[in-house]
Amino acid sequence: MTLSILSVQLLTGLAYGMLYFMIAAGLTIILGVMNIVNLAHGTFFLTGAYVAFSLLSNQVSFWIALPISVAVMAIVGIVIEKLFIRRVYGKELEQVLLTFGLAFIIADAAEWIWGTEIQTLAVPSLLDTSISFGTLVFPVYRLFVVLVGCALAALLWYFETRTRIGAVIRAGVDDRAMVSALGINVGLVFTGVFAFGAGLAGLSGVLGGPLLGMYTGLDSEILVTSLIVVVVGGLGSWRGSFIGAILIGLIETLGKIWFPSLSMLIVFLIMVVVLIIRPQGLFGRGVTS
Amino acid sequence: MTRQIQMLLLLVIIVICAPWIMTQYGLTLATEIMIMAIFAMSLGLIMGYAGMVSLGHAAFFGIGAYTVALLGPLLHNVFLLVLCAILLSSLIALLSGMVFIRTSHFYFLMITLAFGQLLFALFWQLKSWTGGADGMKVSVSMDLGFGDIFSPLGLYYVMAVAFLFIYVLLRLFVQSPAGRIIKGVMENESRMIALGYPIRSYKLLAYTISGGIAGFAGALYAYYNLFVSPDLSNWMFSGQVMIMVIIGGVGTLLGPAIGAGLFIILQNFISSYTERWSMIMGILLVALVLAGKGGIAHWFAYIGSMVRRMRMKKDTRTKPKEEEVSD
Amino acid sequence: MSLLQVENISKSYKQLQVLHQVSVDVRPGERHVIIGPNGAGKTTLFHCITGLTPIDDGKVIWEGEEIHRLYPHRLVHLGLSRTFQKNNLFGNLSVEENLHLAIAARKPYRWQLLKSLLAFPDLKEETESFLEQWEITALRGVLVNNLSYGEQRLLEVLLALASHPRILLLDEPTSGMSPAETAQTAAMIRRLPRSVSLLVIEHDMEVVFSIADRITVLHHGEVIAQGKPEEIRNDGMVRHIYFGGGAKIHA
Repeated sequence: MTLSILSVQLLTGLAYGMLYFMIAAGLTIILGVMNIVNLAHGTFFLTGAYVAFSLLSNQVSFWIALPISVAVMAIVGIVIEKLFIRRVYGKELEQVLLTFGLAFIIADAAEWIWGTEIQTLAVPSLLDTSISFGTLVFPVYRLFVVLVGCALAALLWYFETRTRIGAVIRAGVDDRAMVSALGINVGLVFTGVFAFGAGLAGLSGVLGGPLLGMYTGLDSEILVTSLIVVVVGGLGSWRGSFIGAILIGLIETLGKIWFPSLSMLIVFLIMVVVLIIRPQGLFGRGVTS
Repeated sequence: MTRQIQMLLLLVIIVICAPWIMTQYGLTLATEIMIMAIFAMSLGLIMGYAGMVSLGHAAFFGIGAYTVALLGPLLHNVFLLVLCAILLSSLIALLSGMVFIRTSHFYFLMITLAFGQLLFALFWQLKSWTGGADGMKVSVSMDLGFGDIFSPLGLYYVMAVAFLFIYVLLRLFVQSPAGRIIKGVMENESRMIALGYPIRSYKLLAYTISGGIAGFAGALYAYYNLFVSPDLSNWMFSGQVMIMVIIGGVGTLLGPAIGAGLFIILQNFISSYTERWSMIMGILLVALVLAGKGGIAHWFAYIGSMVRRMRMKKDTRTKPKEEEVSD
Repeated sequence: MSLLQVENISKSYKQLQVLHQVSVDVRPGERHVIIGPNGAGKTTLFHCITGLTPIDDGKVIWEGEEIHRLYPHRLVHLGLSRTFQKNNLFGNLSVEENLHLAIAARKPYRWQLLKSLLAFPDLKEETESFLEQWEITALRGVLVNNLSYGEQRLLEVLLALASHPRILLLDEPTSGMSPAETAQTAAMIRRLPRSVSLLVIEHDMEVVFSIADRITVLHHGEVIAQGKPEEIRNDGMVRHIYFGGGAKIHA
């Protein structure tokens, strides 16, 4: 294993980690604010990628397809939140079943529309090149993904620490009546958070298109990975998701080199180890159950 | 108590007589229903009596099925083979439960899902042992000591007896001290702690038993289908059995079994018309959740209690407690 | 020679110090009442004693052994039992079934998997005698959610008594009660045998003085007075706090 191959693998692991971060951040924020485990999140990822695929197939530039796909997923998120999620606030089993059912519907619809063949997104020509540092050669696209991930983290940090809504979200929306009394439209916040999460999942899906491709079953795989990231990082904590996602992305990629058929087992074991040491996750606070 | 014995007798009669009114195809369906009923009841146990929502229960079903498939060539005795399947799935339930149950219910949900998918991935990846995505044939014969049973009718009766057996066991269990304590833990955990119960141990007990029964169902499935595949551990399958429990009624013993029956009949019916069963199942689930009245068994209980209320005087002091297990 | 000894325990949540160097002890057979204005830390004290809340400093000693690091559920087996300030019952079960669960907790057959709980004669006998002793036999089949508030409060205490504890921690047993119910509850507490020591949190001064052997006054998480009822009644600082808080100490 030469240094240059290893370094590319590390970059790849980091890039995958950023993808996991983007999708897990949405999941964990939705969970932290709304107390909902959104099992349809994986389908948001996949659908976002498919939408971009359709646009790209119609000669739309990647750079236009990206924001459109994100917007489409955000709108889907708004619709789902208003039509369905709203009806089962506070009822946990019902919420799980609801998002579960939605996951089946969306995944099957995606298969219906886009078929069962594996697809990929073409890397945008601007980024379809490599950069070299001495003997090390890095694909630019992966650097780009890492950059976007870091930008997202910076954005979330800013939002949380510098804005009023961020403070509210950080405080937790445990007592909705009280928060309402503070003059904050809780319903709007919830819809916004859900749409934001869906949009993030879509973003991650599009960016992941060139790396992961799109295929039936990807939604379940990516959902499981994001759930593991959320658990490892801690419920509701996007910082935890950041650390957890990078950790898992790196270990999974490196694991694939040496134990290709056991990479998922390794990731799972990481989660088990973290849970044994710290049952609430790395950055998790006590859960209100 | 007599009411429960009546119920059991009714069940036995239905189960024994059912083949007489069915077609050959209906018989295979009924056999599958028996197996799924066992599986559904095992999930119903932890969901309705221990309050644990698991999205990875199919993991144990898969373990049971693959144990039979893999050990079948080595062990020819049915009882031994099935016992191995039950022991292995119980053991894995115990070990995984020890880690999972310490976490909050959100995490529990997510981790059990991940666990189920892990097993799915393992069955898929370890091709040389399991045949991978293509699955593997099961070469066993249902020989209970008086010859190989391979006729559809024979298999049906074997599975039906298994179902009744599990039903009776579970019925006894929920009335036992341990069973009632587990229900108490679901009803009010903090009070149970204050009363002196080690609640984690009881939850673990319920989870282990449930995993073992699910493994039993998986083993039976291997004998019935003579073919196993990784999908048996996929979360889609976990989701299906959860739907069965919901349709039938969480918190009742027989509800999940009824739900299994309805689900399988529905699935077969709809699948013959369209490939989009998955989507329809999702729509069904969403509709069920939004309609929000609980499952079939709850409907029966609801109607039953309305009738009772109409017959009684208004004195709340003499109102008898409602049986929470209405079957 | 105390049964229960709370030694200098402190507990704070971030910046807020809820308990500071609190020491309380309970002697065998004693009725020890803790009083203090709202927010004084009384319920937190109970949570610390029973292990629901970890303490930052100090010890809780029961019959010579330190218990503050034990799992909460272990305490019942050592002989400590508690009630909750807000009713914490099994609302969907009957009074009888509530008692069953409470009684079964210390029985050897609580891990039995197949025999029906009701088939154990000692369980039925103990339940019967409980119902009779407290004159609630008529309520046996009533769903707890359908009981009156006072009846629920009584059941709250009975559940804690079912394990035959040597000490009972009562958290505001008369909270939310009408004067009639309060008097009934005070009478019930006085009826409890001296084989059960009591550590009680109470607000109602009439009740306090009618049952207490010793009183501890908690204020802002600190013990500001401790002693016999007459001493407390005449204590200057206590009167100041209570007059300042609006409550009167005469009974």
